[in-house]
Amino acid sequence: METVLVVDDEQGILEALADLLREEGYRVVSASHGREALERMAELRPDLVLTDWMMPVLDGPALIQRIRAEPAYQGVALLGMSAVDVMALRRLYPDLPFLQKPFDIETLLRQVRKALDARRL
Amino acid sequence: MSSSEQPARPDARVSTGVPGLDSVLGGGLVPSGVYIVVGEPGAGKTLLANQLCYHQAHGGARCLYVTLLAESHARMLANMRDMAFFDSAMLPEGVYYVSGFRTLEEQGLPGLLELLRREVRNHNASILVLDGLVQAQEAAGSNRDFKKFIHELQVSAGLARFTVLMLTSDGPVIHPEYTMVDGILELRERTAGVRSWRELQVRKFRGSPTLSGVHNFRVTSAGLEVFPRLEARVRRSPPPDPGAHRIHFGIHSLDALFPEGLAAGSTTLVLGPPGVGKTLMGSSLLAEGLRQGEPCLYMGFYEPPNRLLSKVSSAGIDLKGAVADGRLNIIWQPPAECILDVLADQLLTDVRKRKVKRVFVDGLSAMSQSTPESSRMSSFFAALTQELRCEGTTTFFGLETPRLFGPVLDVPLESGPSAVAENLFFLRHVELEGRLRRLLSIFKLRDTDYDPTLREFVISRQGIEVLPPFSVNVDTLLTGLARHPGGGHS
Repeated sequence: METVLVVDDEQGILEALADLLREEGYRVVSASHGREALERMAELRPDLVLTDWMMPVLDGPALIQRIRAEPAYQGVALLGMSAVDVMALRRLYPDLPFLQKPFDIETLLRQVRKALDARRL
Repeated sequence: MSSSEQPARPDARVSTGVPGLDSVLGGGLVPSGVYIVVGEPGAGKTLLANQLCYHQAHGGARCLYVTLLAESHARMLANMRDMAFFDSAMLPEGVYYVSGFRTLEEQGLPGLLELLRREVRNHNASILVLDGLVQAQEAAGSNRDFKKFIHELQVSAGLARFTVLMLTSDGPVIHPEYTMVDGILELRERTAGVRSWRELQVRKFRGSPTLSGVHNFRVTSAGLEVFPRLEARVRRSPPPDPGAHRIHFGIHSLDALFPEGLAAGSTTLVLGPPGVGKTLMGSSLLAEGLRQGEPCLYMGFYEPPNRLLSKVSSAGIDLKGAVADGRLNIIWQPPAECILDVLADQLLTDVRKRKVKRVFVDGLSAMSQSTPESSRMSSFFAALTQELRCEGTTTFFGLETPRLFGPVLDVPLESGPSAVAENLFFLRHVELEGRLRRLLSIFKLRDTDYDPTLREFVISRQGIEVLPPFSVNVDTLLTGLARHPGGGHS
């Protein structure tokens, strides 16, 4: 079973995404900001980190940077999501896939699957 | 005292970016102040706060927007995407959205306070919006805890120099705890019958006087726009003396009734029933102004511009060319719903921008009937005329009387407007010798000699012509139902 770590400071979105991904057969852990996400990752190495961009304590870009800097997390798939215009974010982070909020369920599941599959290539 | 010990120069005010609101606040928010914006759901609080954030972000400031169980950030941004002030390029550097809900749930007010302080510091924010203060209040163990939270936030805002806007949908009740903050702005929607309109009131503001009372605002695709109540901001200084400058209608037979002319910068009220000739009289005044090279303005509520131009054209008054080349501006407001301060803003903005010398408002009765605040008309009219006098503008107001003709003289006014107008003309229909005639009388002309006789006037393709005085005794002429033994003019 693949593990997805969902990181979002908006509690409602966090819970909705976790429920959806669990129903799709993923193991889901969640965190409400980047620092909490790193604590979860220390306990359980996820296959994918699905992270929001604007968050308190430690935001999306800082979390991505910390994950990429940690050799133990090489191979962890990353997927960003934001209400910010992700076209601009894609220009800043060309090697990171993004989901534009709000998104529909099919788009979410397709992008999650795509990010996980890309990890194996 | 060394230079480093000199008291810091007070910073410039924090501009809200909401047109009209900075004027109401005496220049904007005071830096490092803590403000509450209170209003029921849908009142416009979130929009106001976002508008302020994007305005500040465009000026280089960084803003932190913290929500507590509000709508999701994605939905909030989606709702604002069509707003003119919204700029996605400001995200996330200029405007940064985070949720403090979970922190509040798990760590209470101390945890939320810590989050606010830390995030303001992390983002170097000078503006903090806390959207959902009512959630923080509910999470507080007691009123004392809530007061302590506000006090500590105030201390932090002072130390770290950020300005706080706290939004709460607490309804009409202003909690005693709120008196601790530097200012309280209340937004509300009022309803009368099927009509509704939005109002803003500054309930408290430390640091400077604000414009008192209630001010209308509207929400459009541009965001919030506040229209400061005219009476609250009217200039108290006496208007400039226009000197000996006099103006005329350009109608020989009419101008002959007061050869000196009307005093420039004065206010004239013309009363009369529908169709009697008020519009033509006012339009003649404008046409003469245009001939003198003066920029003019027509504000009307009845005929749309094309119909107005055709109507006056059929009486020999050609205004089309002046409209086409911008010497004459027509502001037309259909006689539906209106907000007095919006009309005043439109009118005064054009007067100031184009240095308008003559204004014709046609007419006051439509304005009065289409506003939910008709009881304000007297004070509003006084304030409007004062502003126009201060601009050196000569103003002509048409006011419709409801009765076509008959023994009763209806003046649909409280004493205010007629008392404020220096000049008062009265036009009537008169039934005489089996024919409906038009009658003109001058009730007063301040500091000007005038012919007080009742005069018949006619309207033809050449415009208005005032006829000589009646040569015979005519009884009860002003009642509109006259009788006389003979007939004719001298």
